[in-house]
Amino acid sequence: MTALAAPPRKKRLRAVPKVVWFFLLIPAAVEIGMVFWPAVNSFYLSLTEWNGLGAAKPVGLDNFKNLFADDIFRGALWNNVIWAIGFGGLSVLGGLALAVALNRPRRGVGLYRSAIYLPMVFSLAVTGLFWRVQYQPDGTINTLLGAVGLESVEKQWLANPDTALYAVLIAAVWRQVGYVMVLYLAGLKSTDPTLDDAAATDGAGPWQRFRYVTWPQLRGVNTVVFAVTVIDSLRTFDIVWAMTQGGPYHSSELLSTYMFQQGFTFLNLGYASAIAVVIFALALIFIITYLVRATKEEVA
Amino acid sequence: MVSVPLSRRGFLAGIGGVGMASLLGACATGSDDSSAGAASTTLTLQSSLSDPDPKAALTKVVEGYSKTPVTLNTIAIETFRAQLPTYLNSGNPPDVLTWYAGSVARDYAGKGFLLDVSDLWTGNGACAGFSDALKELSTADGKQIFVPTNYYWWGVFYRKSAFQEWGVQVPTTWDEFIAVCKTIKSKGVAPISMGTGSTPWVASGWFDYLNLRINGAEFHRDLLAGKHAFDGPEVKTVMDHYRQLVEYIDPKGRSYSWQDAVTPLTAKKAGMYLIGAFITSGVPSDAVDDLDFFRVPIIDPSVPVAEEAPTDGYFASAKSKNPEGAKELLSYLASAPAQQQFIQLAKSSNLPTSQQVDTTTFAPLVQKGIKLLNESKAITQFFNRDSSDELQTTADTALTKFLDKPGDVNKILAEWQASAKKVLGS
Repeated sequence: MTALAAPPRKKRLRAVPKVVWFFLLIPAAVEIGMVFWPAVNSFYLSLTEWNGLGAAKPVGLDNFKNLFADDIFRGALWNNVIWAIGFGGLSVLGGLALAVALNRPRRGVGLYRSAIYLPMVFSLAVTGLFWRVQYQPDGTINTLLGAVGLESVEKQWLANPDTALYAVLIAAVWRQVGYVMVLYLAGLKSTDPTLDDAAATDGAGPWQRFRYVTWPQLRGVNTVVFAVTVIDSLRTFDIVWAMTQGGPYHSSELLSTYMFQQGFTFLNLGYASAIAVVIFALALIFIITYLVRATKEEVA
Repeated sequence: MVSVPLSRRGFLAGIGGVGMASLLGACATGSDDSSAGAASTTLTLQSSLSDPDPKAALTKVVEGYSKTPVTLNTIAIETFRAQLPTYLNSGNPPDVLTWYAGSVARDYAGKGFLLDVSDLWTGNGACAGFSDALKELSTADGKQIFVPTNYYWWGVFYRKSAFQEWGVQVPTTWDEFIAVCKTIKSKGVAPISMGTGSTPWVASGWFDYLNLRINGAEFHRDLLAGKHAFDGPEVKTVMDHYRQLVEYIDPKGRSYSWQDAVTPLTAKKAGMYLIGAFITSGVPSDAVDDLDFFRVPIIDPSVPVAEEAPTDGYFASAKSKNPEGAKELLSYLASAPAQQQFIQLAKSSNLPTSQQVDTTTFAPLVQKGIKLLNESKAITQFFNRDSSDELQTTADTALTKFLDKPGDVNKILAEWQASAKKVLGS
């Protein structure tokens, strides 16, 4: 119908027809109603006290004041810092190293790549359960340590507050490293091999070639990897929940697990929303600073 | 390029989109419209029994109810607990819900969310024959709001053949108990198994019992209600006794769940396990007959004997569209045949609340459990049921820390009191 009315303005036909706008409105409405509106609501809830019953009671910034006086929250925040650095650092370094090592076509390289990527197909909860078995007092890890004469190092990895967080971290990195490797492999494929050859002809060593020839070409991938890693590390939840539930005594608590416990076990929805707002703010700060820097570099 | 902007395929896809959107819209508001028409005839039973055996048992029991059609919704307990206020507060709530007796149910009753079922407890009502202890447990503000249908007991479980091998007798006093622990330890076996890894609440079992044996049930309830301090002298005495146990508790239990910690017991690598009767579901069938339990030893004979007997059952929503139908369904669920059918099909060691259930066919272990509870002067639920899940986590933190560092007990108790105060104050 619209199409029939259109002919006189034939020249402007490249404009999007109205009916398409109408159809676009529907997903937009769904997105606003089911994603943005609840998200905005959680900002409001963070300023209230609400247990899911009746009306939420506005309490101003009390939730945030209580948060920063809450030892468990501060511990979780610190654990998140350790987590972001450990998880981000190890999975990026490991993924990059593996990508560089497995980039050249060689016999059996596909097998290695698939094997390293394989953990990624398991859900985080399954990964957690799998590693929990390895970490049991009589599990694989302690048995291996015992077999090579390192009985003194044997520990109850997940039950010891000094090791629990790192034990979970290793399990998470084990899974993430394959993902980062695949991202970097794709990045390395798009680099120009002739530049590398030229640098080699000019007498540059392998490290120099990587640092000054390959690395600058990976900038685009780096942005993606950085964003993915920061978001993944802030939203980490399932693997910690499956392995330690934040224990023993909150030593492996992350912001996400503490938020879940406050919100869905204790029904302190206002307090939990305040934690969610903190997580959101942290993610935003990291991503925005990085994007601003990245675009500046590109302009320069 | 886009000379015919509205192709047939595009139009159909658009129609599809509209259809999807209206479907989505229906989902978002579905809880209000779609079932409203049916509410007066069909009853909804919201259940958190998602383990295979209890789920199948309840399904069977509900199938046997013919007065009104019943829809059974089974939801995993974590989701169920989080959604419970939403269920009760919605315009068209489920009519009957599974839950447990205790302070959480009383809180909801105080907010007016629960249907008054007092008439089931009088005259010919389905619950009229239940014990006074159960009635008291189901009462809030002078009204009955809960229908208990089964409960279980806690005890120190052990293998009869293992005790024979080690040459130890069932202890009845604290000193005897410690002596048994010593003997078992000398055989190179961990005397006490306890899975406090992913289920740290198990550590509250010993805490509850020691408090019941030393300070009594009344003090215990008051403590959990915030009327006494966790760093007071009474609790310190409790922790002194707990500390005597620490060297006998299997250290590997810190990595175990309660289910994992059953394995050393059945393999005779651990001697005893203070746990609920639900342990029988985790013991291989060839070992079940060898399994026995004894009452947690008496410490102060002047304190009336109290036992933990967590009670499960149902309550109904105050906003039910069909309160009479809901009460009839509750009466059916509380009736002796329904209780018996449920307990047997669920393969649990739970005890029926109705005294008309013929228990002579139940396993000897279960009969012993009934006797244990009948002989006790007071009944408590369990730490979280007598307080709240939030207070439970303060106990989990304090007690697992204590098991790691028993020397820091005073510091740990002071921290416990501080965090408990925060929970109870809010």
